[in-house]
Amino acid sequence: MTQNLDKLPTESFKRITIDSSQAEKISKPSLSFWQDAWLRIRKNKAAIVSMVLLVLIIVMAFLGPVLSPHDAEKQTITHANLPPKVQGIEKLGFMDGVGVVGGKEMDLYERKKVDEYYWFGTDGLGRDMFSRLWEGTQISLFIAFVAAFIDLVVGVIYGGISGYYGGRVDDAMQRVVEILIGIPNLIVVILMILVMKPGITAIIIAITLTGWIGMSRIVRGQILKFKNQEFVLASRTLGASNNRIIAKHLIPNILGVIIINTMFTIPGAIFFEAFLSFIGLGLQPPAASLGTLINDGFRLLEFQPYILLYPSLVLSLLMVAFNLLGDGLRDAFDPKMKD
Amino acid sequence: MKKSKLVWLLSLMLVLSVFLAACGEDEKPATSEPKTEDKDAGTEPKTETPVVEEDQILNLVMGAEIPTMDSSLVTDSVGFDLLNNTNEGLYRLNQENVAVPALAEAEPTISEDGLVYTFKIRDAKWSDGSAVTAGDFEFAWKRAMNPDTASEYGPYMMSGVLKNATAISEGTVDYTELGVKAVDEKTLEVTLEKPTPYFLSLMSFGTYLPLNEAFVTAQGDAYATNSETVLSNGPFKLEAWDGTGLSWKLVKNDQYWDAATVKLTEINYDVVKETATIVNLYTTGKKDRAGLSGDLAMQYADDPDLVRELDTAVFYFKFNQERNGEKTPLANVNIREAIAKGFNKQDLVDVVLNNGSVVANYLVPAEFTFTENGEDFRAVNGDMAVHNVEEAQAAWKKGLEELGKTELSLEILGGDSDLAKKMDEYFKDQLETNLEGLTITLKEVPFAVRLDLDTNQDYDIQNAGWGPDFQDPYTFMNLWLTDGGNNQMSYSNPKYDELVNSAVGELALDADARWAAMAEAEKLLIEEDFAIAPIYQRGTMSLVKPYVKGVVTHSFGGDYSYKWAYIEGK
Amino acid sequence: MAKYIVKRVFYMFITLFLIATATFFLMKTLPGSPISSASKLNPQQLAVVEAKYGLDQPLPVQYGKYMLNLVQGDLGNSYQFKGADVTDLIISRLGPSFILGAQGLILGVAIGIILGMIAALKQNTIWDYGSTFIAIIGISIPSFVFATFLQYWLAIKWELLPVALWDDGWKSSIMPSIALAMGPLATAARFIRTEMIEVLSSDYITLAKSKGASSFEVAFKHAFRNALIPLVTVLGPLAAGLLTGSLVIENIFAIPGIGEQFVKAIMVSDFSVIMGTTLFFSVFLIFVILVVDILYGIIDPRIRLSGGNS
Repeated sequence: MTQNLDKLPTESFKRITIDSSQAEKISKPSLSFWQDAWLRIRKNKAAIVSMVLLVLIIVMAFLGPVLSPHDAEKQTITHANLPPKVQGIEKLGFMDGVGVVGGKEMDLYERKKVDEYYWFGTDGLGRDMFSRLWEGTQISLFIAFVAAFIDLVVGVIYGGISGYYGGRVDDAMQRVVEILIGIPNLIVVILMILVMKPGITAIIIAITLTGWIGMSRIVRGQILKFKNQEFVLASRTLGASNNRIIAKHLIPNILGVIIINTMFTIPGAIFFEAFLSFIGLGLQPPAASLGTLINDGFRLLEFQPYILLYPSLVLSLLMVAFNLLGDGLRDAFDPKMKD
Repeated sequence: MKKSKLVWLLSLMLVLSVFLAACGEDEKPATSEPKTEDKDAGTEPKTETPVVEEDQILNLVMGAEIPTMDSSLVTDSVGFDLLNNTNEGLYRLNQENVAVPALAEAEPTISEDGLVYTFKIRDAKWSDGSAVTAGDFEFAWKRAMNPDTASEYGPYMMSGVLKNATAISEGTVDYTELGVKAVDEKTLEVTLEKPTPYFLSLMSFGTYLPLNEAFVTAQGDAYATNSETVLSNGPFKLEAWDGTGLSWKLVKNDQYWDAATVKLTEINYDVVKETATIVNLYTTGKKDRAGLSGDLAMQYADDPDLVRELDTAVFYFKFNQERNGEKTPLANVNIREAIAKGFNKQDLVDVVLNNGSVVANYLVPAEFTFTENGEDFRAVNGDMAVHNVEEAQAAWKKGLEELGKTELSLEILGGDSDLAKKMDEYFKDQLETNLEGLTITLKEVPFAVRLDLDTNQDYDIQNAGWGPDFQDPYTFMNLWLTDGGNNQMSYSNPKYDELVNSAVGELALDADARWAAMAEAEKLLIEEDFAIAPIYQRGTMSLVKPYVKGVVTHSFGGDYSYKWAYIEGK
Repeated sequence: MAKYIVKRVFYMFITLFLIATATFFLMKTLPGSPISSASKLNPQQLAVVEAKYGLDQPLPVQYGKYMLNLVQGDLGNSYQFKGADVTDLIISRLGPSFILGAQGLILGVAIGIILGMIAALKQNTIWDYGSTFIAIIGISIPSFVFATFLQYWLAIKWELLPVALWDDGWKSSIMPSIALAMGPLATAARFIRTEMIEVLSSDYITLAKSKGASSFEVAFKHAFRNALIPLVTVLGPLAAGLLTGSLVIENIFAIPGIGEQFVKAIMVSDFSVIMGTTLFFSVFLIFVILVVDILYGIIDPRIRLSGGNS
């Protein structure tokens, strides 16, 4: 054996040295939090589609009322209860102004001598459903975003303080939360709406009144998890201020969770608003939201399905999109899923 | 008389369905309103005795629960409707909606001055077998006036009618002094405050029903809180009602003196609040009648089962002239005129309501009260304050000048039902379009809140309504007396007061003159003062199974009578 | 454990006390008189009615009495039903609500679990997307729309089930239960999917696989059982969701339940029923959350009560 070894030519071997300066080199490109998240969410088709859809709906919410030749508030009483009719598409046998009245199908536009086109039909007061739908979407989105934003701010601050400072502060703050969490939010919302003047403000306040608790608990949990981890301790040892620790270390780490949670708060708020409309505590007319539009339409499902169809569709798409996007973001932000 | 009655009857039938919907929604403070159904009422019901072989069971829907079956406390349409079928007073509305003697054996003897009525009570029994006596009436009426009972309708229906009732409700006289006395077991003597032309039509009203003293006293506070603690003396008795539940039934009362006439053996009720659900129940044959409203009604316009009835409830704008101690712009008669004429009522009833309602350019409803010759009260005044944009705009301009303003912001107070909201949106659009410089804000609140705001005169314009409590124009005209119970808007016109008061005062016994006085007052109210702006007279549309026959709809008191109803050809 | 429960029950009572107090004073600030006929009664009569409901006393006294009665389980008298006892009213409406709630929850969670499992085991396939889609539909369509669809198709078009009402035994409960089940279904499906995916990627599953366990065995014997445990934690929120659902569903199907009565009470300003129902809902929810927390502590030894985890 040894002899064989001796026969190996020395030139086949090369001496290498270990360059300690390369040991810590990161072979992957360095990515910021956002770049990283984006890279991964890009692979999630559902999330991307959702994002596109959301952008589309939001754009339409503002563009829609402008596109339509009819004003959302304008009542043309002689044009009431018309089914949808769209230029061009009408020849295909649907959205052609044919509706059912008294069990018979007929062209209602002809019968009522209407020359205009109402893309999504009209309601019982002769208002253009297309414009109303998008204005309603605007209001629903407004309620949802404002409510989600308030939840976010209050929740993050409350949970952040409670978690970061800990000790007695945390104790006291958590007792309060523990009491509040027992209050069914449905009840609070209904009571608040009863007490306040019904309207957008009342609905937003009512939704946020207990809405922030979920966020605060999540943020607190995350802060508790991170604040004693080595990188925070190291930073602290190096003399970083509380502000710096919070801003540079804690917030970026829990940002994902916050965003995900917000993604689920928004559809929740939209949904709650629709529910309030059903029990008669929603927006005051003539303001419309997706909820009030659906509420107007669901009794007529059998006869004028279009009144229900479009707002339901937009509501469902919004819900699906926010949920899928939320799911996608969760996967994207989850460190365990990193490859 | 004949012809008008027929028309009237037909209209009555229409009424039925809205009721429910209406109660909670855009109507006046909890009164009952009457209705009718029965598509063939005009021809059929009065005649033959049908062959009763089929199951005589009727299945109905109510829009609300029964708050109470205590006839002294009932204020809502559900309660009055049921009482009308489970109990009977001195009089009952017959198939032609005329009050005829029921528990009274015959027409009473009336003293010459028109003040003392003496009734003979017929032999009749309560559902527990005890006899109905004159004392039962005395007990019931005095109970309704007893302040401890806290009856709303007692003082309301009896004041100014029964002797001492007004004084009792003001607290100056004890309730035992009420002008009603059981002379003996079967003789009831009623003393009136002043001659009252419509007194006998009151005798069919729920508040005037007799109560079995022994039973009521024995039950105490529990009286009429469920089907075990209530007695009936009418065509049906109440069963399976737990006091707050969503279902109950009426079964034939074998103890009823006229039980031979009653053909139905059972009426099953379920409370359903969603109109779409009600129609679905009807479609699947689970229920025999379904009220329609709004957009749903349109779809059934040609349905053979559809029954249209004209109700006697009238809806109008109340113009509040003084709010929080300050005069509102509505104190200006031109502003009121502009609003009264400034919206299209025809479109409202045709498109927005679309439920058989008709335009009202009046206060006293059409097809409600008639002269001896069968002439409708409406024939006197005709239409007033008709929709007219030019006149409205002219009045508006004038009004604004007088107020020294170029724009006004007014609030419309309305109900919170879907239909009420839709109407309000329509009013807003119409008025803002037609009257330049006007901004309308809408306030839509639950009924109880609206009552509260009404009482406190905390509104500008209110969409309100009223259904009659007895068959006389006075039931509408007394609302706007200076101190009228429903005024609540600071309207006061001495001439109006004088005219209306004369109709129940010095002119009480002169049918023609009091008629003329009330007509003049109506004209004053609507066409000169524009104190209120009539909007529509409610109609109802409902689907009724063709095998349901003989149901009678009433224009006041309980909505329906099932005494003569039967099932045929199911 | 005992100490923890005592502590929780203590907080529960504080919560209830706060809710009762807040509701009481909120009700007093509401516009509208609870006495429907207040405007028509003369002063003498009004005094009688107010005395009957104790409204003639100063607010602190009313409050004191209310709390005192509350402790004894007396929720006062309804205004809409002349003098009816609110406690009795709520109890009489419990049955249908409970049956529907339980059926809806069981049905929803069961189907949700199945969908979640399928989605997790067949991750990123058409199966996954399909079941996720169903789950999302469940939370995307308002329950009153869904209920209307059910009524239209199942009852009217196909005549399979009664349209509404509570008079046809278990058949009457099917559609409302399905409508109620959609919420729990969606939540359970999403939850199980996430948990399963996480569990499936954990080391012990890899170990089990490498030891040759069949994928069926892995999925059900190992992964599923562990994924199921955290599901307990969402039962609290699910129960809350059912309450919301019941308000709508009971109205549409004309079910004599608590939710139906609550909506009615709101409409007619029956303050005592609103207060009573509010308290009842709160007690119910708090109790469910407590039970869930305790249960969770028992099932999952890792979570020894580091504070309720819902």
